[in-house]
Amino acid sequence: MAEKLIELKNISKQFPGVLANDNISLDIEKGEIHAIVGENGAGKSTLMKILYGLYQPTFGEIYIKGEAVKIKTPLDAIKLGIGMVHQHFMLVPSFTVAENIVLGVEPRKNMFFTNYNQAVKITEELSEEYGLRVDPHAKVESLSVGIQQRIEILKVFNKGADIIILDEPTAVLTPQETEELFKVIRSLVDKLGKTVIIITHKLQEVLALSDRVSVMRQGKMIGTLETKHANEQILAEMMVGREVLFEELKRKNIAKKEVLKVRDIKARDNRGLMALKGVSFNLHSGEILGIAGVEGNGQSELLEVLTGLRLAEEGSIIVNGVEAINKEPLEIRELGISHIPEDRLSTGLSRQATLTENMILGFHRKEPYAIKGIHLNRKKIRERADRLIQEYDIRTPSQDIIADNLSGGNMQKMVIAREFSFDSQILIIAQPTRGVDIGAIEFIHKEIVDKRNEGAAILLISADLDEIFRLSDRIITLYEGEITGEFLSKEITKNEIGLYMTGKEKALKEGGR
Amino acid sequence: MKDKKNTEYLISLFLSIFASLIIGGFIMMANGRNPIVGYSSLINGAFGSKYNIATTLAKTVPLILTGLATSISFRSGIFNIGGEGQLYLGAFGAALIGITFVNLPAILGIPLAILFSAIAGGLYALLPAILKVKYRIDEVIVTIMLNTVAVLFTGYLVNYPFATDVGKLGATDIIADSYQLSRLVRLSTLNTSIFHVIVITIIMYYLLERTSIGYEIKMVGQNLNFSKYGGINVKGRMIFAMVVSGALCGIAGAFEVLGVHYRFLQHISPGYAWDGMLVALIVKNNPLGVVLMSIFFGALKTGSISMENATGIPSELISVIQSIIILFIAGEAGFKAKIKNYFAGKGRRKKVGEENA
Repeated sequence: MAEKLIELKNISKQFPGVLANDNISLDIEKGEIHAIVGENGAGKSTLMKILYGLYQPTFGEIYIKGEAVKIKTPLDAIKLGIGMVHQHFMLVPSFTVAENIVLGVEPRKNMFFTNYNQAVKITEELSEEYGLRVDPHAKVESLSVGIQQRIEILKVFNKGADIIILDEPTAVLTPQETEELFKVIRSLVDKLGKTVIIITHKLQEVLALSDRVSVMRQGKMIGTLETKHANEQILAEMMVGREVLFEELKRKNIAKKEVLKVRDIKARDNRGLMALKGVSFNLHSGEILGIAGVEGNGQSELLEVLTGLRLAEEGSIIVNGVEAINKEPLEIRELGISHIPEDRLSTGLSRQATLTENMILGFHRKEPYAIKGIHLNRKKIRERADRLIQEYDIRTPSQDIIADNLSGGNMQKMVIAREFSFDSQILIIAQPTRGVDIGAIEFIHKEIVDKRNEGAAILLISADLDEIFRLSDRIITLYEGEITGEFLSKEITKNEIGLYMTGKEKALKEGGR
Repeated sequence: MKDKKNTEYLISLFLSIFASLIIGGFIMMANGRNPIVGYSSLINGAFGSKYNIATTLAKTVPLILTGLATSISFRSGIFNIGGEGQLYLGAFGAALIGITFVNLPAILGIPLAILFSAIAGGLYALLPAILKVKYRIDEVIVTIMLNTVAVLFTGYLVNYPFATDVGKLGATDIIADSYQLSRLVRLSTLNTSIFHVIVITIIMYYLLERTSIGYEIKMVGQNLNFSKYGGINVKGRMIFAMVVSGALCGIAGAFEVLGVHYRFLQHISPGYAWDGMLVALIVKNNPLGVVLMSIFFGALKTGSISMENATGIPSELISVIQSIIILFIAGEAGFKAKIKNYFAGKGRRKKVGEENA
């Protein structure tokens, strides 16, 4: 195993204003699964894009099997046997599986026509060889994300790769699909002697899958260790650079009262397709209700309907006995609903505005911040901003910094600080820790549970199933705009939930609870 | 706001102005003129005497108003490029009042004329605002086209129905005496409208910087989704900003009639609204910046004429200098990135992120 297949030596990459990779050296051995972990912005993807020829390093050298190489384009990388599966798949949706797999290296009948039968044959052979079952004739757009990923992997191998780079491969997968993928990766390495580099920030996956793990932080390589010597605590500390406490979140039992009743919501997405096909649920004070689902199954539309940003075609939303369907966002806020949007950059904040300005939204017509609802009381506004910065541990030199200069975690804390300070009875929280560093995740989770313990009713939407399980009292699963199941979170496992998230199982209310 | 960004911006603004003046100097030298003599006669022409200062200030009046008009509309993210047309309608409206209600005393007549011009300008801006908000019709194109409509329409009015009997001028009759704003310095056209402008500037500053409405306008312009999500009446704010913008341009027109020409002329504005837009763009829609930059532009305009008289350097040079300032400001972001990159290579910045950018 000790043969060094790839050696990266002193790689640095300078972007405008950011040193994304700072003097990084890394060895990849033949036939290993090498995980690269680090928080968002640590420079993992940049490093791999350099190896795949998408970026040129500012300094540093790359050796493959002991020879110095220059990888100027992905084509060079492919010639050297390096393939990459991107986080966002690069498939043509309207093509069949076979067409996608041979794309770029099509077998030809003659100058003009592709030999489709040959493509199908190639696909079948690949599928056989690598043990990844796919239907060559199926159109990609009709396939699940997990299958699409297989196609991406086969595509890479069709180009003759020995080394495959997987960028956050599990981000869009259900637990079942993740397990399946890991089996595949294992067999690629064990049976076919391939080498796999996997970029991730999920520590459990690293521990379950990899042989060795390298940790990056803020553009620097912190260290490489054998996975068998690592555990979650060690890796988290290397990633964050300080001690991380995985504290148990304390839950208090609170008298539950129904505060939100959602019935039969139907709404269309931006393309005019039905995104919500009759969604109903109840939300109680003192509980966190998690909505689990693979992204794109109606979560965004549900959020927008609930907060007045999208019109529903049918249905009703009763907030404390008051009908709130299709009301203006302001009216819904006045009914006591606060909202942490799923995309903080486009909706949660204004990037060019200062922290002060960002944190006053929604309060800017309220006493004492606006005298008579019109004259802004700067002193009070600044005092409030300072208080929130302290309370929510927002790391910033001053409240006059514009939001764009904050890190993702601090931006999110700012949004949370603002929304939580409304003291609303109902909180609709979407993707609260997406792109947020570990330290901030801990803090945000604790704040959310504290709000629950104070008696708030919380609706949590997250693509991160671990997060849903960690925070929720109750979980409902959303699949293709319909609710496929409802569970108490302590009575169900992640694997079971996965079946409901993909519509393979349904537990409708008549049948079960 | 003592924002770091603002300080950075001020520095680059001064550097831009300085650099463009130096380039202007080189142009003078290339034409065999002494730039020191040129600039000193320019400064002298702008500020050298009471008369010169008055002339400079008189030139700033329409610039400040149209600059403020641009500020409020651009801040809200709806672009009023129709200031010139609103100015013409406002000017004509003021003249109409001044030749119709000839017996009103000044204390009633002048406010009425100003109000009427503001309404004329405001309504003329309301139209594109509604088209934008209701039907998503691009306001830039509509307002640009409406400029031509207003200029030609008022041109028709003053040549036919409202043409003066005295000579063939393309102008209305002289407005009644009570409407004529008093001149402040002999021979110069500086008049009491400057005091109105001071009041309007203070109101606009207060509105934009110190009120909830100003805050909402700013947020709407910066991020529409964010504003909707925060419960701001986005459409209402856009319409409001546009109408106020139109009203300010209308008032700018009124002061040209009430204070300078005492009648409406067919070509009453040499493009004040466009100059005002440049002013606002340079200072990034800051109301106080608009005042200072308007004075600077006014001084350049006034001084350039003296410079031409004294040294023979054509006054058009000033347009060149103005344009170079704009070019520098436009290139600001690019320059800054380059400079930062250069320094970033030596000591890296704290924030590492956006690796996928």
